[in-house]
Amino acid sequence: MSPAGCPHVNGFKVDNWKQNLRVIYQCFVWSGSAETRKRKAKSCVCHMCGAHLNRLHSCLYCVFFGCFTKKHIHEHAKNKRHNLAIDLLYGGIYCFVCQDYIYDKDMEQIAKEEQRKAWKLQGNFFKACIFPYRHTLYAFSVGEKYSSWEPTKRELELLRHNPKRRKMTTNCTIGLRGLINLGNTCFMNCIVQALTHTPLLRDFFLSDRHKCEMQSNSCLVCEMSQLFQEFYSGHRSPHIPFRLLHLVWTHARHLAGYEQQDAHEFLIAALDVLHRHCKGDDNGKKANNPNNCNCIIDQIFTGGLQSDVTCQVCHGVSTTIDPFWDISLDLPGSSTPFWPLSPGGDGSTLNGESHLSGATTLTDCLRRFTRPEHLGSGAKIKCSGCHSYQESTKQLTMKKLPIVACFHLKRFEHSAKLRRKIITYVSFPLELDMTPFMASSKENRMNGQYQQSVDVFNDNKYSLFAVVNHQGTLESGHYTTFIRQHMDQWFKCDDAIITKASNKDVLDSEG
Amino acid sequence: MSKDSKMRATINQKLTEMGERERLKELLRAKLTECGWRDQLKANCKDVIKEKGLEHVTVEDLVVEITPKGRVLVPDSVKKELLQRIRAFLAQHAT
Repeated sequence: MSPAGCPHVNGFKVDNWKQNLRVIYQCFVWSGSAETRKRKAKSCVCHMCGAHLNRLHSCLYCVFFGCFTKKHIHEHAKNKRHNLAIDLLYGGIYCFVCQDYIYDKDMEQIAKEEQRKAWKLQGNFFKACIFPYRHTLYAFSVGEKYSSWEPTKRELELLRHNPKRRKMTTNCTIGLRGLINLGNTCFMNCIVQALTHTPLLRDFFLSDRHKCEMQSNSCLVCEMSQLFQEFYSGHRSPHIPFRLLHLVWTHARHLAGYEQQDAHEFLIAALDVLHRHCKGDDNGKKANNPNNCNCIIDQIFTGGLQSDVTCQVCHGVSTTIDPFWDISLDLPGSSTPFWPLSPGGDGSTLNGESHLSGATTLTDCLRRFTRPEHLGSGAKIKCSGCHSYQESTKQLTMKKLPIVACFHLKRFEHSAKLRRKIITYVSFPLELDMTPFMASSKENRMNGQYQQSVDVFNDNKYSLFAVVNHQGTLESGHYTTFIRQHMDQWFKCDDAIITKASNKDVLDSEG
Repeated sequence: MSKDSKMRATINQKLTEMGERERLKELLRAKLTECGWRDQLKANCKDVIKEKGLEHVTVEDLVVEITPKGRVLVPDSVKKELLQRIRAFLAQHAT
């Protein structure tokens, strides 16, 4: 492909060529509407052999479709001396004289516009593509096609001005950095490690998507942005997060002080403050409506928990859906009764965990969380169907799954009589399928459909990428985190010390 | 045209008409990127270009060299999933 370009297109660029080209794109390459699709389906076959495969091309000078692989379009080009053809699959323009695909600026422009038009017509069906563990940028708004990044003039300037480049190989340690403990701050350090290795969050901050609207210097989102810059700068010395600590103390007073705090509480407080400070990022669309927020925190972490209360007398169901950032699970050995499980817990294997070994699994806890619970006579609910107070059962299921799910095992018991830590080992898998806990699954079961059809459209599967562990007792303990990098490498983050870990280390840990 | 290819053509027509073909393409694209297939072949393409020289290489060269490799490297799980989805669609829209 000669860098000088193809001179043969000039013969084509006469009269109303732009409009003609557009029509070809709209009808035969990227058909957006139902009628163009129908026409494409019917007419896009080779005029010589009738096949619809084999890299079908359309002649640009007349109405002729021919296979590329079987050279039917080549024959046509030779016979009629029509030098240009268009690939119906990808929209590329081929010149038979140059014998290669050519890239004419004007034609490329038309192609891009038509593709975008067709995409818009096809609507919001295509979800934003999510590429975990791959260093790729992707579109955040649903309904916009992912297209590769092309730098703007300003960005080109910046790139030329700063010629140093960092190459990401599979063994590089960029993104791993220790955090100095500033006095029992391991509860904060462990959560920060988990957040900085959340791929979606990382990509959001590294692509500078936060536009700050806060006047003072106390925006936590800006500080997170700084933190990400520090983590991915390539420096290997541990980072001292004093500014972050100070901001946390300012915005979440209940976490201030040098005593040991609860990491889970920190996570929720941090997400809350980040969510509140994210106001500038969605062009001011929803500023005051908490239920309709579109900030990055909500996009990633918010799920919907469905609570169904069924009246025992009239069987009317009252449903509410509440947003959640994490799922707090009770453990066996706590004062709330754990056994027996709901019907269905018959010792079958789920998510590759065996029930028979006797060890509690994460799935057991989830099953318990979503079991129907009889709310005894002491807690009667007013039923709108019966117009009186009746006994009822309550059941929780997942209505909407968050992109990142946080499971919190309630190991710290703070009841009136005792304060203790439950150290029961809970095993958890590397891959988790949430389908059995979905509201839709429950409805299927109730309608007598026991066969769980494989739903290819909705992916309820999760991959583990961070585990926070607590060692020690309630009074004095220490938090550490395991995080996953590059798809299958695990690292243990113990404040300032980062060490490599194996899958086994992670799965054997307390959780 | 043989019976087999006639059936193929009919299925293709149905898929295109209902827009399902585009959706399947996007699903396939996402799956192949997710599993690293795209990156691997991109690297292969770069090798071919280096070999033949940037000025002289044509798209045809790449097609000839990369297509067989690409076909072989598609993971079975992806093939299975796409097949399942096509089956489901046809079952739903059988005439």
